[in-house]
Amino acid sequence: MAAPLTLLLIVAVTIRAALFRSSLAELIAERVEVVSPITAWKRVVEGLALLDLGVSPYSGDVFHETPLIIYMFHFLVDYAEITFMLADVITAVALYMAVKEYNKQVFRKQKFALEADRYPMDSLELIRSPKEMYYIPLKVAMFYLLNPFTILSCVAKSTCGLNNAVLALFFLSTIKGNVLLSAIFLCLATYQSIYPITLCAPAMLYFMQRQYIPVNFRRVSFWWFIVQYLFMYLGSLFVLICLSFFLLGSWDYLPSVYGFILSVPDLTPNIGLFWYFFAEMFEHFRLFFLCVFQINVFFYTIPLSIKLKEHPVFLMFMQLAVISIFKSYPTVGDVALYLAFLPVWSHLHRFLRNIFLVSCVLLACSVLFPVLWHLWIYAGSANSNFYYAITLLFNVAQILLVSDYFYAFLRREHHLTNGLYLKRKDGSEATLILK
Amino acid sequence: CALHVICCNAGQFFSSGHTNNWAVLVCTSRFWFNYRHVANTLSVYRSVKRLGIPDSHIVLMLADDMACNHRNPKPATVFSHKNMELNVYGDDVEVDYRGYEVTVENFLRVLTGRLPPSTPRSKRLLSDDRSNILIYLTGHGGNGFLKFQDSEEISNVELADAFEQMWQKRRYNELLFIIDTCQGASMYERFYSPNIMALASSQVGEDSLSHQPDLAIGVHLMDRYTFYMLEFLEDIHPASKTNMNDLFKVCPKSQCVSTPGHRTDLFLRDPGSVLITDFFGSVRKVELTMDAINLTDPIKQMEENPVNGEEQKEVYSYADQLPVSEIIHQKPKQKDWHPPDGFILGLWTLILLVFFKTYGIKHLKHIF
Repeated sequence: MAAPLTLLLIVAVTIRAALFRSSLAELIAERVEVVSPITAWKRVVEGLALLDLGVSPYSGDVFHETPLIIYMFHFLVDYAEITFMLADVITAVALYMAVKEYNKQVFRKQKFALEADRYPMDSLELIRSPKEMYYIPLKVAMFYLLNPFTILSCVAKSTCGLNNAVLALFFLSTIKGNVLLSAIFLCLATYQSIYPITLCAPAMLYFMQRQYIPVNFRRVSFWWFIVQYLFMYLGSLFVLICLSFFLLGSWDYLPSVYGFILSVPDLTPNIGLFWYFFAEMFEHFRLFFLCVFQINVFFYTIPLSIKLKEHPVFLMFMQLAVISIFKSYPTVGDVALYLAFLPVWSHLHRFLRNIFLVSCVLLACSVLFPVLWHLWIYAGSANSNFYYAITLLFNVAQILLVSDYFYAFLRREHHLTNGLYLKRKDGSEATLILK
Repeated sequence: CALHVICCNAGQFFSSGHTNNWAVLVCTSRFWFNYRHVANTLSVYRSVKRLGIPDSHIVLMLADDMACNHRNPKPATVFSHKNMELNVYGDDVEVDYRGYEVTVENFLRVLTGRLPPSTPRSKRLLSDDRSNILIYLTGHGGNGFLKFQDSEEISNVELADAFEQMWQKRRYNELLFIIDTCQGASMYERFYSPNIMALASSQVGEDSLSHQPDLAIGVHLMDRYTFYMLEFLEDIHPASKTNMNDLFKVCPKSQCVSTPGHRTDLFLRDPGSVLITDFFGSVRKVELTMDAINLTDPIKQMEENPVNGEEQKEVYSYADQLPVSEIIHQKPKQKDWHPPDGFILGLWTLILLVFFKTYGIKHLKHIF
């Protein structure tokens, strides 16, 4: 599998290099769907310039990335294009290796279940074989690298690519079972944008499953593991924050980075849900609705964890999707990351119900975003409502996609335990629905 | 000898020091019942135009349109005298700032010259350091302020600072400031720039009163002070030698009810030697001669009477706005930001620690 992967990497790097050299690079770097006030490359350059002039890069509302990014790009600013291409490559390779490992585990669990005769006879057609799972890692890498969203995000040099790389490395270290590295990468991802903290739950669930710790509130081993993981996580977070203070000598990165993400002062239109709402919000209610919107990201963790406690990797996928949809400044780079996981659940295709609608809506919205932006900003014949309508539609399609996969996954699990052809008590055929 | 006479006359040419005249005439109130303020401003406009200042050198700001107001029984006219004797609106009024454009900000921008590049020339005060400027304000005022448009006010401190900006930017040679409002004298109390002469229609604590109502139009047509000033100005022609002392005597208490005031301490010349036409007119002194004049002799200035016997004032000079010489000769600072060494050390130690923790101590022996 190394050869096709290498070929894929070469193709991907070629496409990105070609786009970097073309005139499209500046055009893409300005699109609001691809860059946000946090991730824009222009702002990183501004921050570095301010630093060279002896002024804190966080003065003024220009730079909202973390000090470690400054440190990295202080030395790498001339090689920025290579850095972002490398980040994409690292993400793809990490996802490839992680999904390969995950497939091995899935297959092993399935083998044990088969030997223990836990599957009813008619659901045997739902069993997965290594042959069909052989190309999934390559497909995952391909879905990530050749996704137009990823290519746009890389050509725009948006730091979302770096965030995706860290998240992919976190995923890889979790699947491989390395608790320390997983805590450290998750800490790095949280340090950059706050939302990956919700990925603690699936990571902990996965480790507990791997180390055979029962997920039971009354067990000491459960709480002990949680304490260990959180200690490593919070410890590395603390170390990172102190290092950042030491780097620039002041704490003013805290309100500029985390205060900015949480309090959403910049209402530039993006593909998220925050900007339009808060543009028309009265000051009196702003804090309330800010809390409501931010809680929306963190809110789904506990219920989803309870439901999916045996399937932590799917939980991780769901959580990533929820973060990408509901975060305060989403970009298409965030969308690309969870879209890369879709081949892992390709065996659910027979239970997906809305996939045609979702894919049509996603395609149409992606095309309509620049069109309505042009109509609104340049032609002046539309207004922000048009653009927000497309944003809403895009997010609704994403939510529909995620919930559809959730339904399909749960339905397959149900069929695996209860048989494929469900019958009601009187013998007539029944269907499962997700309420 | 003839040459000496010509030399003396030549000295008289340049006694006032100005080469061009400007006028900024502002009416700050709106609404129909403030008809008289618009009429005030328009009558001064008329006099100033008649005496020679062209429209291109007049900035006329009227906060409301009385001539075409719905309530004007005689549309397209603004009268200054009852029985409709004098229509000051005429056929060739050029209003530069009209209606809601008359704001404190615009007025100060006109004075100081800080207008956006897109402003047309007719809206700019393009004066230089050889300009004599007449500034006439009328409206409703109080102790230390003048109300603009019934919603904002300009204070005497702001006005004084604007004039100081004009002085520092060399935007006037001499300035005549006339204000016709209630408690008008408070507006010139705070001036501190040189070469300003100020007149006001009333002292602090007094109201300026209006002159007569016209029963056909239904409002008061003029204010007393400006009415009598207009009468005085109607007698001035471009060649008249009337000086400022006569202007100070316009509208005594018997006619005006309020006590007009004036301020000349900032003015370098004696008011008796300042001609009305130095400010109200644009007089070009032209003398035709058929002889060639030898101008190599230095021109002797007319003897100036000492200004009220006061001591010589300090020489005013141009204040440096920016320390340009320092900026030009300053080399750019070569400081490049580098992360602190301790930070680099700490970061890489951490990374190494994590690496060895993850992959085991046994790798150490491969390195060392």
